[in-house]
Amino acid sequence: MTMDRALDLYDIQGNICKGYGRFGFPKARYFFLEFHQYAGARAFLQQLIPLITTAEPWSEKDHPDQSDKPQATTNIGFTYAGLSALGLPRRSLDGFPLEFRMGMKNRAGILGDEGPSDPANWDPVWQGEPVHAWLSVNGQSRQAVVDRYRQIEQLLQQSQGSVTIRPGHKGPQGSLQPWQDASAVYENGRVTPKEHFGYVDGIGNPYFAGCGNDPSRLPGRGKLTRDDGWQPLATGEFILGHIDEAREYPIAPEPHLLALNGTFMVYRKLHENVTTFNRYVDRLATDFDGSRELLMAKFSGRWPDNGAPLVLAPDDAAKAELDQQLAQLTAKAAAGDHTAATELRALKAKWIDFTYNKDRHGSRCPIGAHIRRANTRAALETEKDAFNTPSALDDRRRLLRRGLPYGGEDETPADDTEQGIIFMCIGASLERQFEFVQQQWINYSNDFHLGNDRDVLIGANNGQLTDKHIIQVNPKQGKAPFFCTHLPRMVETRGGDYFFLPGITALRMIAQGIIDPT
Amino acid sequence: MSNVAGKAYGMNVMTPLRWWTAIWQKVIFWVVVKTFPYFLKGLLTLSLIHYARWTIINRWSFPRLDKSQPKEKLTYSYMLFESNFNGSWDQYIDSFSFAIPSGLDMFWRWNIKYPKSIPLHDFYHYIRFNQVECDHYYNAYPLASANDVKSAQALYADLAAFADSSEALSDDAFAAAWQQFLADNQHSLGSMGTSPLMSTSNQLVQEHHHDDLQLAARQTQQEEA
Repeated sequence: MTMDRALDLYDIQGNICKGYGRFGFPKARYFFLEFHQYAGARAFLQQLIPLITTAEPWSEKDHPDQSDKPQATTNIGFTYAGLSALGLPRRSLDGFPLEFRMGMKNRAGILGDEGPSDPANWDPVWQGEPVHAWLSVNGQSRQAVVDRYRQIEQLLQQSQGSVTIRPGHKGPQGSLQPWQDASAVYENGRVTPKEHFGYVDGIGNPYFAGCGNDPSRLPGRGKLTRDDGWQPLATGEFILGHIDEAREYPIAPEPHLLALNGTFMVYRKLHENVTTFNRYVDRLATDFDGSRELLMAKFSGRWPDNGAPLVLAPDDAAKAELDQQLAQLTAKAAAGDHTAATELRALKAKWIDFTYNKDRHGSRCPIGAHIRRANTRAALETEKDAFNTPSALDDRRRLLRRGLPYGGEDETPADDTEQGIIFMCIGASLERQFEFVQQQWINYSNDFHLGNDRDVLIGANNGQLTDKHIIQVNPKQGKAPFFCTHLPRMVETRGGDYFFLPGITALRMIAQGIIDPT
Repeated sequence: MSNVAGKAYGMNVMTPLRWWTAIWQKVIFWVVVKTFPYFLKGLLTLSLIHYARWTIINRWSFPRLDKSQPKEKLTYSYMLFESNFNGSWDQYIDSFSFAIPSGLDMFWRWNIKYPKSIPLHDFYHYIRFNQVECDHYYNAYPLASANDVKSAQALYADLAAFADSSEALSDDAFAAAWQQFLADNQHSLGSMGTSPLMSTSNQLVQEHHHDDLQLAARQTQQEEA
C-alpha cells in the first residue's frame, strides 16, 4: 500500500495540508493579480517564492508552540488565463482539465449560480477578463497580515507595472476594496469557529495519506472499511502526481514536474443573507416542536453552538445531557484529572467519528441536512455490503475546506451588508469533487431519494412552496415529519474562480520560464 | 442527436467477444443470475440506474431487416450493454467503477481488450470507444428520475388506500391517521423539478434547440403576416 509513503511537504504549499485557522491564524487577506508582461511577472514570482509557505511540519504536536510557526503565511494559485499570461507552452496549457480551463463563471449552469448568484451580479473584480492569480496571506493577528501584505506590495511596485492588483471587492458601507479581508467571527473578544448565521463551521476535514496530520485525527475523516475502521484517503485525491482512489494518477498537465505536488482550489465568495435567515428561522420556530437551536441543527446536522452532531444528540433533552457531561468533564480535566481528560477527548472525537448507519430514516439527522449532503459517510450504501467498500460512492467526492468568514466587523449583519464565507476547497479534480457535490448533493437530491429538494443553507432556493427541506421523524412515534417550505436564498455567490496551486518546484520553473513538456 | 432526454441518459455499448467465449459467457450469466443474486445487489443499490441489461449476440445471429439483406460474416460475437440512468455519463461510469468494480469485471472479463474497471480512465476510454450513440431517445416523463417514479408510485398507492380508509374517521382520528400517513411516506415526498445540467455541451444543445424553436416561431409569424 501507498498508505505510509512520506510526502515531500517542503514542495507542497502549506494551505493544502493545513487549515491555518486551526493553527491559530484567525485573520486573512486575499487579493488577485493581473500579469501584463511575461518577463516582469516571472521576475516578480521569483522574488515572491521565498515568502511562500510550505506544508513543512511546524511541530511534532498538532498545536505547535508560538515560536515554531511564522506570524504570517503566503500562498499562491493561478487561473488558466494567468498561466497563459505567464507564457506556459500550449501543450502544457492544453493538459489542464476542461473545467479549470473554462473557469468558474462558465460553469454557472453546473453550479446553480443563477438569479442573485448569476455571475453578472458578482463583485466588480470578477467582471470582464478572468483574474490571473490568487494570493492569500493568513496571520496570527491583523497586524501580521498587513505587514506581510505591505511586503508583497513592495514587490509589486518593483515590478514596474508588470504585475498589478485587480481591485473591486465589495466591502463595508458600500466601499470597493483592493483586497478581500477575512476573519474568524469573534464573540466577546474571543475567536470562535462560527460563521455569521451562528453555526460552528469547518469541522471534519478529510485525512489523506502523507498529509502530516496527527494519526489520531484519522477516525471520521478517512474512508470507511468493512470492519467499521478508517483508512487514510489516497494522496492523489488531493495532490497531483500521486496515486488516487482509482489507482491511477489524476488528470494533470505535462510535464510531470509542473503537476507534481500541485493541486486545484475553488475560491468562492458566499454572501450570507443574515436577515432572511433569521426571519425564516423565527417564523418556522413558532410551529416547530423543539427549540430554535434544534431547528437550526436540523438544517445543518450539527448543533449551532458547539457543532455536536445530531446523530449524537438528536433532541433538546439529549443535547442538555451532552452539554452537562461536556461541562463536567471539561471542569475535571482543567483541574488535572487525567481520566476525565481522556474521556473528554473520546467524547469530542464523536463530533467527527460517526456514520448514519443507525439513522437510516433521518429521524436524528435529516437526510437532507447540510452535513449529510456534503459528506455522505457511507449513507449511500443503503443495502449492507452492496458496494466494494461502505464509502465507495463518497471517497472520491471529498473536499478539503480552507475558508474563513468575512465581514460583520464594521456593521451589524443584515441582507444588504457585506458578510459571509470565503469558501475555499482543495482537490485533485474540480469536476469530480467540488462540482459534483455542489450540483448533485447540494442543489439536487436524487442520490438521497428526495427529488429536487436542495440544501437549506447553501442551495439555490427561490422561496417557492417546493423549495423545501423535510425533517424526518421516527415513523413509529405517530408524528408527522416537519416541512420547511418556501426556502429563501440564504446564501448567494458573489464571485470566485478555479485556481491551480503549483508545488514549489513547479512554481520555480514557472518563474524561470522553463516549463517544457518536450 | 443527444443521449440525454430530461433526467435520463441512454447508453448502448457493443463490445466484441470471441465466438466460443460468448457461449461460455452465456452460461456464466445464467449461473450468476440463478445462483448468486447477491452479485447483483450492488447494481440494484445504485439507485441512479433504471435498468442495465447485458445481451450476448452470436456472430451468426445478428438480425436482418429482410431476407434480401445479405448475411454479414462477422469475426466476433458481441455483447450488447444497454442502460438508462439518471445523471451524467461520468457519474454513471464513476459509480459503477467505485462501487462494483469486481461485478463489472465479471460481466466484461472476456471482451476483447477490456481493461478492467480500475484504473478508471482506461475503463472510460473503453466504454467511450465502444459506445453507440442514440439516434432517437424519448422520455415520457422528462422531469422524473427512476427514484421519483418509484416514490410517486408508492405515494399514490398509499394515498389511495388512505382515502378509502379515512372517510368514516372522526376529526381527531383523521388527524392522527394523516400524521401517520405522512410519517410513513416521508421518504417519497421530494419535490419535482428539471434535471440538473448534465454538461456544458448539453447546455449548448439545449440552447440551440431553444434558438431553433424561436426561429421557427418567427418564420411562422412572418408567413402569417
